[in-house]
Amino acid sequence: MINAFFLSSTIKHGVLLVGALIVLVPFYMMVSYSFKSPGEIERNTGGFFGSQELMVDERCVKLQDPNKDEVIALRPRFPGLDDDGVRKAFMAEVEQDCSMIPVVFNYSKAFSQAPLLRYLLNGVIVTVSIFLIQIVVALPAAFALSKLRFWGRETVFTMVILGLLIPVHAIALPLYIMLAKVELINTYAALIVPWTISVFGIFLMRQFFMTVPDDLIDAARMDGMSEYAIVWRVMLPTAIPALLAFAIFSVVAHWNDYFWPRIVITGDRSLFTPPLGLREFKGDADGSFYGPMMATATVIVTPLIVAFLLAQKRFIEGITLTGMK
Amino acid sequence: MTAALNHQRQTLSAWIMLSPALILMMVILILPILIAFGLSFTDYGLGVKSVDFVGLENYERIFTRSTFKKMFTATVLYVIVVVPFSVGLGLGAALLIQSVRRGREFYKTIYFLPVMASLLAMAIVWEFMLHPTIGVLNETLQGGCDSAIIHGLLTGSWFGADPLASWYGDQCANGFPLWLGDRDYALWTICFIGIWQSFGFNMVLYLAGLTSVPRDLYHAAEMDGASSAWERFRLITWPMLGPTTVFVVTITVIRSFQVFDTVEAIFPDSGGPGKTAYVMMFAIYEKGIKQNLLGTGAAITVIFLMFVIVVTLIQRWFIDRKTHYT
Repeated sequence: MINAFFLSSTIKHGVLLVGALIVLVPFYMMVSYSFKSPGEIERNTGGFFGSQELMVDERCVKLQDPNKDEVIALRPRFPGLDDDGVRKAFMAEVEQDCSMIPVVFNYSKAFSQAPLLRYLLNGVIVTVSIFLIQIVVALPAAFALSKLRFWGRETVFTMVILGLLIPVHAIALPLYIMLAKVELINTYAALIVPWTISVFGIFLMRQFFMTVPDDLIDAARMDGMSEYAIVWRVMLPTAIPALLAFAIFSVVAHWNDYFWPRIVITGDRSLFTPPLGLREFKGDADGSFYGPMMATATVIVTPLIVAFLLAQKRFIEGITLTGMK
Repeated sequence: MTAALNHQRQTLSAWIMLSPALILMMVILILPILIAFGLSFTDYGLGVKSVDFVGLENYERIFTRSTFKKMFTATVLYVIVVVPFSVGLGLGAALLIQSVRRGREFYKTIYFLPVMASLLAMAIVWEFMLHPTIGVLNETLQGGCDSAIIHGLLTGSWFGADPLASWYGDQCANGFPLWLGDRDYALWTICFIGIWQSFGFNMVLYLAGLTSVPRDLYHAAEMDGASSAWERFRLITWPMLGPTTVFVVTITVIRSFQVFDTVEAIFPDSGGPGKTAYVMMFAIYEKGIKQNLLGTGAAITVIFLMFVIVVTLIQRWFIDRKTHYT
């Protein structure tokens, strides 16, 4: 009996481990590629970290190749050489300057070749704005739907339920036309506006508020608080756990969103979100840029993965919130 | 304060509090649907001066042109491949994880990682790994051909089978597929990436569903003679997970219909070799945004919304049926 149990549990772990391996391989490869030199990537050598031998950045060298005038200007630095010799001596210096170990090359290129920091900043601006506006719109609505008595409440709630069915990506085209008509394409507003209304947020907060006792609200009214003050000073503090879960849900969705930014940001790099930045990198990439591209991918994927590893329970709760629908 | 006055005050504040949400819902969710519906009968384009009413021409084109036939084929194939695998693997992983004593958190964390990662980034990584010449997959497969043990096992030649008759033996001899570059493999490869990315999400939904199955039911079933694990699953776990399954399937279907990132990242210009991965969202993007054929794009949007409505109605029907009979 013990043996049978042991056998079945070994098989189970075996299956689960194979699955885990398949899930992890792309992450492993992504990080590994981001460490290696172009040659190692192409030949699949060097293990996980690569050999980290000094490599010469060809582009960096080419950019500094002196023309005739520059060679003339360089003459005093290399006395006693003819022009060709001056050039060679100078290029030897340049080559020295342009050598670095692959991991440094990849990550420095990721940040210098494209304004990656700017993209990350845009990602933060967009996700934070979306979340804050969603809350400002959804909390009062959820409060009204759960704690205020008025004619039409059921109708509005039915509308919310129906609204849950509309995937915003599916109606991207008419939204794009509307934004184009008011000339908002290529602005932060275009990235944010369509997501300001989270029907799901309203629904979720309403369900949560239903569990808050009415006495709490009546007491606040007795103290002479306005209804709005009750929302922000009484309801909001009670709703922190639900809000946190919703924040995770919202931030993950919009940090990773690619379809919508792709549509409304058409050229202006300074408005790119992280996925757009990575995509553009791919567009330009020739063979030697695999490493920096993978470094960019790693940089984009890391923040959420690290946050997830630090607060797994909350994340899983937040992402699976949709399961409550 | 009288009750009537109080009621009046509440009604007023309620509508004030609801108004931003209601206005935004109208402008961002309802109006676009009406616009899409209206434009789908025109040949509208941004910056184009004249707009003509073209009747059902856009729809006619979508249902007759071969490009759109490919669009429906790719989208439907994607959905019917990804949904069962993603849901099945999610359920399988959840059951296995729940049945082991150690390492539950470990497996859960790993399987959930792809859900957190940008699909676009991971699509690019997969494209790399599947690269026909420098990718690790073909390199590894090729490596297996040179090893007598692996070759013997996978082709069955150790057991006296003809190595060339098996897929692996054949590919060893004639070269491994181009995967994303091959029209016979491209869509399946995109499906694989979709399954890889999404099953962890379904797994946690199932794990949540499993915690709500009462333990005593299993004991009761055992008393009644359901001794094998399969019997217990068939008689208790599966029926108890019914509502979870309906939800998981619905959400996976709706998400699969919206696949875009992988296709656009890997086949930006064409939608796959021979347009074999020309899925709906990509078609909307290509026709509507890139080619400014907004009428056609709007018509695809309308068809898309129809799909969503049908899926939701089927879900409702399932849920209603459940509540009637249990």
